[in-house]
Amino acid sequence: MRTLFIFLVFATQFARAQQIDPDLLRIKKRMDSVKQFTASLILDLDVPFIQMPTKTANISYATGKKMMFTSKDFVMLPKRGLDFSLSEIFKYPFITVDRGIEKRNGRSLKVINIIPTTNQSDLALATLYMDTKAVRIVQSEINTRKEGSYTLLMNYALLKDILPSYVEATFAIEKLKIPLNFMGKGTTIDRRKMRSMETKTGKIKMQIRNYNIKY
Amino acid sequence: MRLLLSAELLKLVKQSKTYYALGSIMVIETLILITAYFQGSTILDLLLDNLKQSFYFEGTLLNGNLIMYIVLNSLWFNVPLILMIVTSGIVTDEYKDGTMQTLMLQAVDKWKVITAKYIVAVLFTLLVIGFMMLTTFILSYSIFGSGDLVVYINTLNFFEADDAFHRICWAFASGALTMIFYCVASMTLAIFIREAAKTWIAAALFLIITTLLLKVDFVVPVINTYFFPKLIDTWQQLFYYRLDWNQIFINNAILILYTLLFAAAGTYVFHKKDIG
Repeated sequence: MRTLFIFLVFATQFARAQQIDPDLLRIKKRMDSVKQFTASLILDLDVPFIQMPTKTANISYATGKKMMFTSKDFVMLPKRGLDFSLSEIFKYPFITVDRGIEKRNGRSLKVINIIPTTNQSDLALATLYMDTKAVRIVQSEINTRKEGSYTLLMNYALLKDILPSYVEATFAIEKLKIPLNFMGKGTTIDRRKMRSMETKTGKIKMQIRNYNIKY
Repeated sequence: MRLLLSAELLKLVKQSKTYYALGSIMVIETLILITAYFQGSTILDLLLDNLKQSFYFEGTLLNGNLIMYIVLNSLWFNVPLILMIVTSGIVTDEYKDGTMQTLMLQAVDKWKVITAKYIVAVLFTLLVIGFMMLTTFILSYSIFGSGDLVVYINTLNFFEADDAFHRICWAFASGALTMIFYCVASMTLAIFIREAAKTWIAAALFLIITTLLLKVDFVVPVINTYFFPKLIDTWQQLFYYRLDWNQIFINNAILILYTLLFAAAGTYVFHKKDIG
């Protein structure tokens, strides 16, 4: 019985090692070396029915903790796109499928699909474009079960940088129409009526500066 | 003229209607503040509901600037109606009490009498709008504090706190011109009609029709741009994301011309009509 158990554990580990792309594991390991960091954000929102000036915020991250944001103004920060540690992807078991090499801006990028093997994961399918030479992710297309789909594009200031200096998150967003002119006693708000189901594509552009990284 | 103005101002200070008008403004403000205090967050949550699926929000939008903007929106109907009732009374009360005849028996020019009344109506309007702005500012900032403003005009427009405050101040100034236009129009109606109750109905109808005509497409671009009902929402243009100061200035200048035109018409009719 004990032998069988050891065999099963070994076989599972072996199978897992076979199924997860080694380059992704290298990137994850490199990301995990960042224990905490702080940085300043410059945010530009590009949504067809929202007009917002450029905003600034500060972010701080520590391993195992939620990313914290602070700002003097009202800011809207994307729920997805700042998970540099890939913890959301690695939270539940998954397999990877190699999709080959693609050329982007003169760089060869390895493309892989990430497919979760459990229904617990909110992730449905992710496509990662990895710069295997620089050991970092350049682009990811994430499809979730509950929070829709979004694409992340990451640029880095230097070849050695782990964390991006620019992130562009593209996502689908429902258009809504609410006249804020009325807030009186007689105001009734019909959620269905006010929400037009027309879907638009939104984009948030984040310049990330003044990194203070602790390894 | 100076004596006539002093006399009209004295009447305005002495009459209880003036204080009823100021009291009404305070009641409207208080109701808005109470509603915002208890329901403001819920309405903002509804407004931003689908955005919450994609974003974290840092900071609050329920603040003094939003309250000032909501109070400013009473310039659509509530405030002009109160002002039109009070200012038309400057003329109709004199007819009702028979004091107009007494006044006309004095050695004064008719046009000077009515001009003084128009000037006092304008001063009263400015006083009310100033009072409204000051009290809203004090109450909303002391209860809700400062912060970014969100306004829905075709798009969801966000303004930083300082920018929002400047826009609100300019909107109050532009709104004051609209209110002056309404008050002058109501006084002109009072000169034509003379009876208080009928003038109130006519003034309310004028306000409603003007507001309705604002949304009507007259096909001809010049009418669509410069007909007076199309100018009464100029203060709202201060909350377009990209400000067109030139258009705002032109609209207000033309609205002042309309105001002068209405006042001139009233003065002419007053001058021609018998006092009895």
